[in-house]
Amino acid sequence: MPNVVVGHNVVITRGSQIAIAASDFTIPQGKITAIIGPNGSGKSTLLHAIAGLLPVSSGTITVLDETPVASQPRISYVLQYTTVPTGTPLTVAEAVAMARYPGLGLFGRPSREDKKYVTSAMERLKITDLAKRHLTELSGGQRQRVYVAQGIAQDHAILLLDEPLTGLDITSAKTIDSIIHEEPDRGCSVVLTTHDLEEARAADHVILTAGRVVAFGKPQDVLTTENLTNAYGLGSLHEHQSTDLILPAEHHLGDHSH
Amino acid sequence: MEWFLDPFALGFQQRALAGGILAGLMTAVVGTWLVLRGMSFFGDAFVHGIVPGVAAAVVFDINPLLGAAAAALVMVLAIELVNRQTALGEDTSIGLLFVGMLALGVIIISRVDSYSGSLTTILFGDALGVTSQDLIIQAVLAVVVISAATLFYRPLLALSFNADKAQLWGLNPKRAHAALLVLIAAAVIGSFQSVGTLLVFGLLVGPPATAALVSRTVPRMMLTAAIISVFSVWIGLTLSYHLNTAGSATMAIVPIVLFFIVLAFTRLRTHRRERVLSHA
Repeated sequence: MPNVVVGHNVVITRGSQIAIAASDFTIPQGKITAIIGPNGSGKSTLLHAIAGLLPVSSGTITVLDETPVASQPRISYVLQYTTVPTGTPLTVAEAVAMARYPGLGLFGRPSREDKKYVTSAMERLKITDLAKRHLTELSGGQRQRVYVAQGIAQDHAILLLDEPLTGLDITSAKTIDSIIHEEPDRGCSVVLTTHDLEEARAADHVILTAGRVVAFGKPQDVLTTENLTNAYGLGSLHEHQSTDLILPAEHHLGDHSH
Repeated sequence: MEWFLDPFALGFQQRALAGGILAGLMTAVVGTWLVLRGMSFFGDAFVHGIVPGVAAAVVFDINPLLGAAAAALVMVLAIELVNRQTALGEDTSIGLLFVGMLALGVIIISRVDSYSGSLTTILFGDALGVTSQDLIIQAVLAVVVISAATLFYRPLLALSFNADKAQLWGLNPKRAHAALLVLIAAAVIGSFQSVGTLLVFGLLVGPPATAALVSRTVPRMMLTAAIISVFSVWIGLTLSYHLNTAGSATMAIVPIVLFFIVLAFTRLRTHRRERVLSHA
């Protein structure tokens, strides 16, 4: 299986702190890859580095056979809806249409094809009826659907999503989940971060992080009790030897470590 | 009718109106991005930051616009230096330069015999002292600022939305941010002679903030801010003539009063709408 992303001996720092210590990893083409790990384990940092938004301190990341920065025109990155300010007066339709800026430059007028991409993305995310609504008038789930629509309206070979399903209502979560599973059929590779072990198990490929890449590969090979115990540092996990163990919610993890 | 026409019967009064309108148009366009990017404190500090440059120009008898441009450059570079060399927040570096530059300006101007008069003119402007040459320079700057703001519309909109997304869309957020700083400098430099370095901030933030309360898109926000700016200049000069108050200060206070009137109106409208919905 060809890889769209290959990381070799990658070290990433944020300020004076090492966010990811020397790690190797791969991301296969046309598959869904889940990056899972505790809070502060470097999931978003890794996603940022793959997107070329954060340089590696040492080692190399190759994206689509080029450097991450050179590959940016073929990467679409959906940020967490909570990290995007809502103060800019934008309607839903305008926000999604911004995804076509890369091909338009400073003055180019959107073509019929550009409009088709935008319309299709809005239909797939079921936000057509919200087109004229202002971003501030939407719920968190609706806003996340807008940002995913923006993500898929952009020309891309890789779709990165930072915790796309966290804290969403059921309708939004289901809609976005179906998009995640449709994208590989369209030839796109999907990489998402998650806290949810079940979501990671449903992926084709998993990267487990804990300040470094603890393991990567097929879910059944990576999400073992031993690896999860290593990553989460939970002594109580030793009591559950079943591979079907379900991790407690992230904010409850501290309780189990005592 | 005479009440509206009398304040602009004489040449210097017409120049004051033209200078104010040009300042209003420039600050409305640039101020929209300033407000959207949450850089109002930077804008406030920036208008104080040009004081030493203008003061030095008065002392050494050179063009105040050159002094203001030099001070603006020093201000921006010094903020960047503090940001890069320390772990202090940007608000701290802006605050340091804000006070430092203003104090330096007052120290420089205090060496002049007509100290208080010169300082008052720099800080609060001299709307009625605008010359035809000032107007030509202002007009050129207004064309440059409005054209550049149009040219950078997409990069600035993307930057306001999210710097990471702007980077991925190939819209170079660092270059867009640098362009915005230059536009702010140009708008402030082109406006301070009409409304003064302190009061130009009223036009830079007041009209865009008021426009933000009633606008659903950025172009409409800019257009609304420009209309509010022009109205503020006109009504400010008219009131100043009839009430015998300082022209620049009266111009600057109008958009702030308008902001609170529009805020009260929009809150009342929202409250009514909620009441109707709760009774439905």
